[in-house]
Amino acid sequence: MKSISLYVERDSFIHEVDPITKMIYILFALLIPIILPSFTISFLCLGISLLLLVMAKVIRKTVPVFSFVFLVLITVVIIQGLFKPENETVLFQMGPLAMYKEGLLYALTITLRVMNIVSSFMILVLTTKPSDLVEALVRKGMSPRIGYVIVSVFQIIPEMMSSMGTITDAQRARGMETEGNVIVRIKAFVPLLGPVILGSLINTKERAMALEVRGFNSRAPKTYLYEEKTYTHGRLVQSVMLLLVVGAIVWRIFA
Amino acid sequence: MKKIIVEGLKYKYPLSDTLALADLSFEVSEGEFIGIIGENSAGKSTLCQALVGLVPHFYKGAYGGKVFVDGLEVKSHSIAEIALKVGMVFQNPFTQVTGSKMSVYEEIAFGLENIGLPRLEIIERTNYVLNLLKIEKVKDHNPFDLSGGQMQRMAIASIIAMKPDILVLDEPTSQLDPAGSEEVFSAIQKLSKQGITVILAEHKMEKVARYCDRVLLLNNGKSVDFDSPEKVFSRKDLEDHGVVAPVYTRVCKALGVKMAASDYYPVTLEDAERALRGRME
Repeated sequence: MKSISLYVERDSFIHEVDPITKMIYILFALLIPIILPSFTISFLCLGISLLLLVMAKVIRKTVPVFSFVFLVLITVVIIQGLFKPENETVLFQMGPLAMYKEGLLYALTITLRVMNIVSSFMILVLTTKPSDLVEALVRKGMSPRIGYVIVSVFQIIPEMMSSMGTITDAQRARGMETEGNVIVRIKAFVPLLGPVILGSLINTKERAMALEVRGFNSRAPKTYLYEEKTYTHGRLVQSVMLLLVVGAIVWRIFA
Repeated sequence: MKKIIVEGLKYKYPLSDTLALADLSFEVSEGEFIGIIGENSAGKSTLCQALVGLVPHFYKGAYGGKVFVDGLEVKSHSIAEIALKVGMVFQNPFTQVTGSKMSVYEEIAFGLENIGLPRLEIIERTNYVLNLLKIEKVKDHNPFDLSGGQMQRMAIASIIAMKPDILVLDEPTSQLDPAGSEEVFSAIQKLSKQGITVILAEHKMEKVARYCDRVLLLNNGKSVDFDSPEKVFSRKDLEDHGVVAPVYTRVCKALGVKMAASDYYPVTLEDAERALRGRME
């Protein structure tokens, strides 16, 4: 079945780490550059995240995500470089437009922050199964209903897309034009919506009933088929990160 | 002991003008295998859902009368409480897949996790039902990648794993081929022999005749008859109620052959054979 999750199955120690530690890492990678706003620290954090992605053997899967992010960031660089109010020092001239140093430095800060957030999120998303992540959160006290909604989206959306494919094929078999210019395609899309939307509403009702009879709303404390996934050094890694954050705050205040 | 007691059950769906169930009353003893027959929209599915509490808790609507399952009054208990006593398998196997589990194995364990069973018990029960319904081979497949028949067996397995005292099945073999549905029926019979009360709404009359102890014939939400398969299928007005008797019964009716020492026609292949051989000799 086609999956919409970005998870990549690989054999690496990053995959072994429990989801909670990875989530704490995201917070860590986010906080440190805010507490210590220097380029060295930001570069260091980004470097660590990228290194972890390489070690998890998923760095190639980040390319499409990063290229999309770069597209957005380029506009930031151009706009800040040209128009930031504090711009004074002209760095170079492109015809009538001048790029300023202050704006470019500010754009670099934003770029680093964004890259930092994106790469630390990628560690979580690419190396953790969505179901593992949600199970870890439910164990930590998140409502199982919210957990269900999150996980089921990953399966039910592809199912809806495939039922849409079936309906398209059926209508094409009855002679409907589905290929050609934009107008033809839009016309072909409209009659799809009825069956797909009504069908999924009916399915949702039936699925809700099936969940009810399987004790979904049971008040009994939930148990789990699998034992909690724990990483041997999870606690250690989490404590080190916490210490580093505290250290960074102390450094910021006293140095 | 009476497992199911239905007293004057009346029910009307919201936004509907007619009663889906009109003044139904019957009792079922522990361990009985009951068939519910009747034409489409006779109220079979609604009655099944009334036994697990989906009617009235899920749909709301107008409800009258009383339903007791294993001593619990359905109206005053939540579906989750009733689900521990009564398991229900629906017609459409596709919508019974939760969509939150990645393998058949995990899917079957879903209900057991919800009712809070210990981990080892979950594993043991899951393995048992995988074996009972012969779906061990696909236990690591994604639930949505199964064929209709495998999905249907998985749906049945998921409910059986919860070990209900009463099993309600609403056309559980609609997607199965003859061999597959035979397997499912023998699995259900095995459970029935273990003492589980089974309620089965079904259109395959040969199966109903063969496996059920008693048959409830519904028409327009009313109970027409509730008796042994021989008596119900021997009724002269059967087709007025939209039901076609098993093929063996129809053959014997046409030939005018009744079972030895009774006033009823045979309903299974074996009985028909015996009756016909008896006449030839």
